[in-house]
Amino acid sequence: MEAGDRDRSRDPSSTAGEGSDSEIERKRAQMIERLSNLHQARVQSSAREKSDSAPPSESTEAFLARFSDSKREIETRIADSKTVTDAESVKSRLEQIAKSIEEMEKLVAENSYFLPSYEVRSALRSVAELRQGLEVLNSELVPKKKFSFKSKSVKKGLSLSRPVAAEGTDSEPDTAEKGRFKARESPGFRSRTGEVLVKDFKGLEVGEFTISDLEECEVRLIGRVRAIYVHRLRNCKVYAGPVLGSILIEDVEDCVFVLASHQIRIHHAKKCDFYLRVRSRPIIEDCGGVRFGPYCLEYEGIDGDLKESRLDEETGNWGNVDDFKWLRAVQSPNWSVVPEKERVGTVIIDNKMSG
Amino acid sequence: MGLLSIIRKIKRKEKEMRILMVGLDNSGKTTIVLKINGEDTSVISPTLGFNIKTIVYDKYTLNIWDVGGQRTIRSYWRNYFEQTDGLIWVVDSSDLRRLDDCKMELDNLLKEERLSGASLLIFANKQDIQGALTPSEIEKVLNLDAMDKTRHWKIIGCSAYTGEGLLEGFDWLVQDIASRIYVLD
Repeated sequence: MEAGDRDRSRDPSSTAGEGSDSEIERKRAQMIERLSNLHQARVQSSAREKSDSAPPSESTEAFLARFSDSKREIETRIADSKTVTDAESVKSRLEQIAKSIEEMEKLVAENSYFLPSYEVRSALRSVAELRQGLEVLNSELVPKKKFSFKSKSVKKGLSLSRPVAAEGTDSEPDTAEKGRFKARESPGFRSRTGEVLVKDFKGLEVGEFTISDLEECEVRLIGRVRAIYVHRLRNCKVYAGPVLGSILIEDVEDCVFVLASHQIRIHHAKKCDFYLRVRSRPIIEDCGGVRFGPYCLEYEGIDGDLKESRLDEETGNWGNVDDFKWLRAVQSPNWSVVPEKERVGTVIIDNKMSG
Repeated sequence: MGLLSIIRKIKRKEKEMRILMVGLDNSGKTTIVLKINGEDTSVISPTLGFNIKTIVYDKYTLNIWDVGGQRTIRSYWRNYFEQTDGLIWVVDSSDLRRLDDCKMELDNLLKEERLSGASLLIFANKQDIQGALTPSEIEKVLNLDAMDKTRHWKIIGCSAYTGEGLLEGFDWLVQDIASRIYVLD
């Protein structure tokens, strides 16, 4: 054998060339390795071909076997990692596990076209469980960082949402976070009784405007605005110039509204009259005793404002009301048209405070 | 050609995605769908029921279900949950008063098992309106960090009125669904 090899190495066609004996030994080892690799690859690929052409049931089994193998492996790795304390190796371990989980998910996706949907579902569930396991491990191993981050974000969420819930009646100490939020609260009229409230939007960059918690007030909004939110009004009159976006009204009683907008939604209104110009169909939900008539507002420059907001045309939609609580062909009992002789007539407003 | 390879071919060809679009009323769902499809958005009535739009996006066909958000019809959302690949939750970022409502409805929705695998895109809409909360503020208010860790989600500020942010959102959603269902090829 030895002799034979040496013979070959002396052969001019041999690639070994004129190396030393140890060089030849090395090359021989390399070649043997290459050959065996090649063989190995052939065996593997033929095995793969076999499973490829096998009926689906067998492929499912193969998939399940592969899947549960790697699942077990990841589970062991998660369990093993629990005792690791060195920060660097923790990080790399966590990353490796995350990568393996990703590979598993990919495996599922690749095979999903032939797998029964039950298997896909349960496989995806297993992946999700592993992710959760990793998440738990992550929080156990890197507790400090995780904890402070979490508590901070929760606190922020609370301090942000509280003023929204309380709205107006808010009396808590100011934090920087909250102060910023409050400062950005939309402009509006809130919590007033028996006043005439006038706002002229001309030349102002006002986006949304809120009218809430008013009693026996008259509100005059002159000029164009993007959106109006109306909430909790009793015995009020609201006159407004054109709104480019939408108006949302909730919880109003015994009020009169004169409004123009692209969209109008009215919720929980009782005994109110609405004089509207709308590009789309106004809707009501949970309303009773509400009546509708055409827009009838005048102020200096309103024609230009209506035109710019594309509300200069009478669409007649003020009478096309959709009642979400009355999805039938016959007229809803919740709303009606204001009889002509009961209508308010043209309302003329200006920006002076003379009641 | 075996049956298996035929099935495989069909599956790869279709590349359909079912996307459910929900959120409170007045958040701008229908406007978003029409805008992304290049349609007129100047006359849109509040949705009484639902709209379905089929949009070809990249090499995928998106079936977008835009379901009305009025309180009365929210209870019907559940009828559209089955086989949803992507969920779009639309927030009116300028409606500060109802953010609690918005959070509650979203939390309820995410408890739904049939939606557990769906990618979640949150559109913080109406960013063009002055005074609107930013996406990161909305993220805090909705406490999105506390969401189930297995959920794929992203929040993106947008304006259905100007169209800003819409493509970015849909790009993310489609890519995320594709990487789960079809594997990127």
